[in-house]
Amino acid sequence: MKLKRSLAPTLLILTLLLGASLLYGLMQSLGYLTIIGEKELSLTAYQNLISGQGTAGREFWASLGFSLWVSIVSTILSAIGALFLATLLNRRPSNFDTFALNWNLAFPHLVWGVFMLLLLAQSGLLARWAGALGIIQSPADFPVLVRDRYGIGIILTYLGKEIPFLTLLILALLRTQSDGYLLVAQNLGANAWQRFRLVTLPLVRPALVSGSLLVFAYIFGAYEVPALLGVRYPRTLPVLALESFTNPDLRARAEGMAISLIIAFIVLMIAGFARAKEELQG
Amino acid sequence: MKKLLIWIALLAPLLTLGLFALSKGWFYPEPFPAQLTPEAFSRLISDTRTLKAIIDSLLLAVLVSLLSLIIGYPAARAIGTQDFPAKKYVWLAIFLPTVVPPLAIGMGMSILALQTGLSGTPFGIILAHIVPTLPYTVFTLAGVFARYDENYEYQALALGASPTRIFFAITLHLLAPGLAVAGLFAFLISWSQYLLTLLVGGGRVLTLPVLLFSAVSGGNPTTISALSLLFLAPPVLIIAATARFLGENPNSVHERI
Amino acid sequence: MTTVTFTHISKTYPKADAPVLDDFSLEVQSGELVSLLGPSGIGKSTLLKLIAGIEKPDGGKILFDGESILSIAPNQREAVFMFQKAYLFPFLSVGENIAFGLKVKGFSPEERQRKVAEMLDLIGLPGIENRRPNELSGGEQQRVALARSLVIRPKVLLLDEPFNSLDRPVRLNLQEAVRNIQRELGITTILVTHDLDEAMAMSDRMALMMGGKVAAVDKPNILFQRPPCMETAKFVGVETFIEGVASSGTFVSAEWGELKIEDADKNGRAVYAIRPEHIRIQKEKCENALAGVVKNCIYRGAQIEMQIVLGERVLRAHLPAKNEILPAGEPVQVILPKEHLFIVR
Repeated sequence: MKLKRSLAPTLLILTLLLGASLLYGLMQSLGYLTIIGEKELSLTAYQNLISGQGTAGREFWASLGFSLWVSIVSTILSAIGALFLATLLNRRPSNFDTFALNWNLAFPHLVWGVFMLLLLAQSGLLARWAGALGIIQSPADFPVLVRDRYGIGIILTYLGKEIPFLTLLILALLRTQSDGYLLVAQNLGANAWQRFRLVTLPLVRPALVSGSLLVFAYIFGAYEVPALLGVRYPRTLPVLALESFTNPDLRARAEGMAISLIIAFIVLMIAGFARAKEELQG
Repeated sequence: MKKLLIWIALLAPLLTLGLFALSKGWFYPEPFPAQLTPEAFSRLISDTRTLKAIIDSLLLAVLVSLLSLIIGYPAARAIGTQDFPAKKYVWLAIFLPTVVPPLAIGMGMSILALQTGLSGTPFGIILAHIVPTLPYTVFTLAGVFARYDENYEYQALALGASPTRIFFAITLHLLAPGLAVAGLFAFLISWSQYLLTLLVGGGRVLTLPVLLFSAVSGGNPTTISALSLLFLAPPVLIIAATARFLGENPNSVHERI
Repeated sequence: MTTVTFTHISKTYPKADAPVLDDFSLEVQSGELVSLLGPSGIGKSTLLKLIAGIEKPDGGKILFDGESILSIAPNQREAVFMFQKAYLFPFLSVGENIAFGLKVKGFSPEERQRKVAEMLDLIGLPGIENRRPNELSGGEQQRVALARSLVIRPKVLLLDEPFNSLDRPVRLNLQEAVRNIQRELGITTILVTHDLDEAMAMSDRMALMMGGKVAAVDKPNILFQRPPCMETAKFVGVETFIEGVASSGTFVSAEWGELKIEDADKNGRAVYAIRPEHIRIQKEKCENALAGVVKNCIYRGAQIEMQIVLGERVLRAHLPAKNEILPAGEPVQVILPKEHLFIVR
């Protein structure tokens, strides 16, 4: 049948590669390590994580907390920032705004992280300017904004990338759908704040929520930015996972793999939730 | 005022990277480098390892996007133009690889690649990159096909054109912008791919993002900035060129680069 | 109860070369429904936007009961719209949609509920408070939009081609409903439309707009039967114009010779016109008969459209359907009855 032939190449490649990768990962996390001749399956890696033992397991709960902190703060601030920016830009639509937002999307997260590092480090551009202006006496006086204990640098980097993304998402909706409704609301007596609260907000809420869940899922599973702009401790889960996975201690590998599967599981739950929500709304 | 702010936001990253890349012996607390020199770039270009990384990255991204287009085309056409009972599940199967973090895919895949002997080989890397690029190619093309009018093809068929001729004279012609955008998305995703290259390459395959990542750990701002600018050039050029098509439709491709 | 007065309104959009409104003046009496009629793009909708405060006029005044409203904020004007699209808020139920204006004005939930139920009765859709807008048909959506506009008891209702996107039976039905509700509430209403039938069926008076001003304003039947100038005559479907000289009851044109006319005291150069349905076709000669030849005959159900060659010109007549369908080339007498010949500027 023609339909099957059309779909087969894509579906086969994707499901085989994804399935096999996840299966191998799962086996590894269960201690099936052919390299050291280990062929018994066990839940040791997962038990270590939950009880906070083992090479990587010791850091698991701290890392989970840190990951949640970074992801939740970045997502909420991005959503608020995007809502504000989109409402502002929608007053006087211009293609230049759209171009600027798309321009930002073109920057790989890695490069954006480098930019933040050069800008905000204690010997970075802003510190040099502050020093030249005599605001600070030495680099050590400049606040620690990257590679800091609280993940400020990581959060700032994500804000720079996710605010434009969500803004574009909301703006597309506002520009195509909001004019008539806002006009009607004004016509029926609503002032600017009432129009925002009673029309704009409910209109963009579904898109903003599913967009934010997407952003959260991405940040929660991403490695590059926290690896570049984070500190040794606490580390985000993806950083802990990869560093354990490349650890010469082969038992740490199973734990690393287990962490990465837990991340995938959490991310899939969130994506599934977002999807179900979208479907409920039609 | 608003325009000025946007210009600043637009240019600040480029200017910062440019300033550092062109600097030499620039230390705290000098607000600007004493001299500007393109030395860092000429050093990078003449370094065989960097040059090879650039060429490899380009080749890889081009190959991956072409393969994604070829593999994804029939599926995208079926999804975009037909209705079938299992459509929802097909979507799901294509959607799934975009949700699972590359970290989880890459770690499992690195073991898979080691055991099949594909680790560090071009073929292995290409396969690895296709996992994140193929879904976006299919999404984009399916969207194009949903707005595509197949009647042009039927008209040509009725006028006696052969299927091959129809494909090249009609279909390809009408779909060119959509194919270009889908291909460019795939290119962007492959070009910016760090984790999968690292894990499946077993550390032996050096693409530009891999070089950049290790340079950042090394810490020379001039080299880092110059590398970043080289790495940034294709995405920025692509966005500038396709801005007209991208318009106001944000695409979650962004979350993959 | 509000009288709306426009005096010398002018408006030119930036970048446009011609004004859309140019010295526009009109008075709409309290409780009256006046339609603004004219081809698209001649500033009818602009006028409504000026009333609602979405646009500002370059010059002139808009008065409600003699008081200028131009300095009042758009959301305080109490002149509410009904558009071609219903714009029911998709995230609110029907009841919440209707209550929107009450909510922003601070009415209590109980009052809102009571008024919403009243309005739903008025529009003939009782008990649908909890439905979602997308569960309603196009006509029902427009009724709800009307209820949402009227529930806040506005001074003026602005109808901007609100029936355009509806199918004909739904449209006719809704036109009648809107007209009845408007009369019942006695609300001053301005209807913008390009549809002559709609304007005639609904209005107390019609204002024909040409070149940014009112070309003619009168009761529908008068404007239809006796349009005062050539442009308005063309708009209401008159096609036959005759130039000539009138003197004491006769009218002489170079083309068609001598015709009898009713006004005996008209002298000098003039243009006379006749509606296509007033032209008669017969075999026998009589007063004001002209010899012609049938060119084409089109059966349109309710009437027959006949094209007749008359000297240099082709003239179109709308005949009652009981008339015979004549073959092309048939010689006929074309009668222009003198009681139907009217003068245009």
